[in-house]
Amino acid sequence: MNCQEVIKFRSVVKRVSRMVRSAAVLLVAAASLTAAVPGDAQASSGAAVPPKQPWSFLGVFGQFDQAALKRGAQVAVQSCLTCHSIKYIKFDQLRQLGFSELEVKAMAEGTGRTKKDPLTSSMDPTAAKESFGVVPPDLSLITKARKGYEDYVYGILVGYASDSDLALANRVMADGKIGAEEAKEVASALLLDGHYPDKMAETLKRMIGGENFNRYFPGNFFAMPQPLMDGAVAYTDGTENSKVQLARDVVTFLAWAAEPTQMERKSLGIKVILYLVVLTIMLYAVKRRIWAKVH
Amino acid sequence: MVTESDESRRDFLTLATGAVGAAGVAGAAWPFVKSWSPSADVLSQATTEVDVSGLAPGQMITVPWQGKPVFVLRRTPAQIEAARKADNEALPDPAKDADRAKKPEYLVLLALCTHLGCVPQPIGTGNFGGFLCPCHGSHYDTSGRIRQGPAPKNLPVPHYEFKDEKTLVIGKV
Amino acid sequence: MSKIMEWVDARLPVTELLKSQATEYPTPKNLNYWWNFGSLALLVLIIMIATGLFLAMHYKADANQSFDVVEHIMRDVNYGWLLRYAHANGASFFFMVVYVHILRGMYYGSYRQPREILWWFGIIIFFMMMGTAFMGYVLPWGQMSYWGAAVITNLMSAIPVIGEDLVVWIWGGFSVGDPTLNRFFALHFLLPLVIFGVVILHLWALHAVHSNNPDGIDLHDAKDSIPFHPYYTIKDFYGYGIFMIIFCIFVFYAPNFFLEPDNYIPANPMQTPAHIVPEWYFLPFYAILRSIDFLGSFSKLAGVLAMVGAIMILFVLPFLDRSPVRSFRYRPLSKQLFWIFVVDCIVLGWVGYNPADATIFNGALPLIIIGRTCTAIYFGYFFLLWAITALDIEKHQPVPKSI
Repeated sequence: MNCQEVIKFRSVVKRVSRMVRSAAVLLVAAASLTAAVPGDAQASSGAAVPPKQPWSFLGVFGQFDQAALKRGAQVAVQSCLTCHSIKYIKFDQLRQLGFSELEVKAMAEGTGRTKKDPLTSSMDPTAAKESFGVVPPDLSLITKARKGYEDYVYGILVGYASDSDLALANRVMADGKIGAEEAKEVASALLLDGHYPDKMAETLKRMIGGENFNRYFPGNFFAMPQPLMDGAVAYTDGTENSKVQLARDVVTFLAWAAEPTQMERKSLGIKVILYLVVLTIMLYAVKRRIWAKVH
Repeated sequence: MVTESDESRRDFLTLATGAVGAAGVAGAAWPFVKSWSPSADVLSQATTEVDVSGLAPGQMITVPWQGKPVFVLRRTPAQIEAARKADNEALPDPAKDADRAKKPEYLVLLALCTHLGCVPQPIGTGNFGGFLCPCHGSHYDTSGRIRQGPAPKNLPVPHYEFKDEKTLVIGKV
Repeated sequence: MSKIMEWVDARLPVTELLKSQATEYPTPKNLNYWWNFGSLALLVLIIMIATGLFLAMHYKADANQSFDVVEHIMRDVNYGWLLRYAHANGASFFFMVVYVHILRGMYYGSYRQPREILWWFGIIIFFMMMGTAFMGYVLPWGQMSYWGAAVITNLMSAIPVIGEDLVVWIWGGFSVGDPTLNRFFALHFLLPLVIFGVVILHLWALHAVHSNNPDGIDLHDAKDSIPFHPYYTIKDFYGYGIFMIIFCIFVFYAPNFFLEPDNYIPANPMQTPAHIVPEWYFLPFYAILRSIDFLGSFSKLAGVLAMVGAIMILFVLPFLDRSPVRSFRYRPLSKQLFWIFVVDCIVLGWVGYNPADATIFNGALPLIIIGRTCTAIYFGYFFLLWAITALDIEKHQPVPKSI
């Protein structure tokens, strides 16, 4: 390096270090602020955040599990469609998941529709409102329309009180109050905040009273009764039809239904970005050569 | 120092970069162009399935196909006979009945008069026992061929197939 | 070829224009990469107008149909998902690029004499961008669209006497509804074209006075400048490459990163979402709006005035800064104020993102206090910048004579 280059190099180093320093200050400021925040709105309203699940379809190279998609469609049609619609998907589109035309026809006719019809519920919205207090929402976009996305929907499906949860509630509430040890036990089993025993007792009372407790729903009590049980849908491919498996499959299907073009998007994205990287490297090379003349 | 080989290398590099960039701009235009093509929901309307099992001989139904009316007629033996007989007459738009009906029993017609696009009246109207366009008096026969009046051509036969004995699919997938 | 150009030039002096505005247009040779953001903003504007035009060919402004139509674009239209995601993310990237562009101007004193009109055109563009972005966000007619529209239009009701009537006039009804959606669509289509016109004025003003530079000094010497083309054309193109890579990563792999899940729920005038937030680029201004809550019945109007004032104050910035030196590079105190201002804006954004009644440190510190403090710091920046320069408190470092 000649003298001029050394000077230039030093000034670049100085500038970079200055930029790193100011970036660091900003980062520390932002980090200390976010660290001070107790959590997001959901946590403060009393429901646990559903844990992340290893969905195969996420990520740059993620792909749908085709077998799970087919099973999930079956769960959606046989179970969800009783009350919910998935109106942006038509029966005919299920052929994209590997169903034959005859299978699709049978599924559509099973619910009294033709294959060109959308997946709408046969339940009358007014009747639904009378029995549940709310109109069951359309599920077409459900995995995009909730904070937590597919993890949240899965959490809701598996987050209801089990028999052992109910037994625990009965045991704890037998004497009408919650001790410190009991509070801890309930907090960890039902993912409730252990700091407020009164609120917890209220929750357990309503749970014993038969209301739909769900540990992942903000506010804990949900209009929808537990929709999926072990063995609720009969699988034909030999997969175990446990509640957890049904939930996993139907969420996979709903994630597809929320955006059927997502795999097209991801595969085009790789090509576009690779192209842009090559072009940008070339532009950089041209830029270097043109600027080489400037001192 | 800028040598001659540097110069030519730069020219090549600049040209290549320009070409790659231009290809990218052209590629980026493609999604915009393609967004005008019929969308998936429109394409799903490209075909219409018709259940013809309920049609009695001589009965005709009108079904919508791609937003246009299509006549599906189950012809009686007499209607078929009349159509075949006319094959050898001097027709304004000559065509054989056998080429117009894949199965002689069923006649499928795009029901827009070739004169000015009105919908002709159902089977059994006009001077030839076929279809009469009420707008300007074009008479079609039992094969949908123009026989009399201002219309220049026969009623077109859309692409159709019998998927099975009772299911008619109009249009190409 | 040259014959054709001669013919054209005799009628429309294209060659001369290219010469004076590009191949021989003198540009400071020391512009750093922060100067790329102006041309980046132009790139994003073009992307927005192109994708927006094609989206408009499929969209319907109708309270009963718009939500479905957006899903129709996402699912049925060929590459409709690409057009929509590029457009939605483009809005966020537009603001990112423009914020950097504005802050660059503030740091290097690009608003100073003789560039005041250039700076004002920039603020007008920024202001129209905010209006366009707000109205565009209403078009998908989701929950956030609807309630964002309701809250922001309600700001007008703070105006004394005519406020209430004005809001009804804007809505075209007794609440946000079909007429509102329709007129917002028309304006959302029109405004970007107006922006494009002001961008031309912005460029005209720039080329009349020429670019500022990191040293903030006037160019005396021919050695200080280089022609815009090819030096800055290639540098801008290189910047475009880097930008497009980042942009495409979001469009293809995190397209919903900047979008709220609630906006995938159709608008429901009967139910407000639990926690409504504006788009991230409005958050600092939203925080300023909410921070004025201590003036009783006057709070609403004062909040709106403070929010509008936060942008309007940029207009007088050229007259507040009295330093003999433009670039903060040689102004130690101004430089510190600047970075405090940047952090302050980020903190304001964070306050704006959180619910109005949120607290930190287990309830010990309500966010509203932080919001008020940061609002004071926001306006304090402009006051202090005036104070240290007008009262000659700041001692600037030696400024180079040439680049």
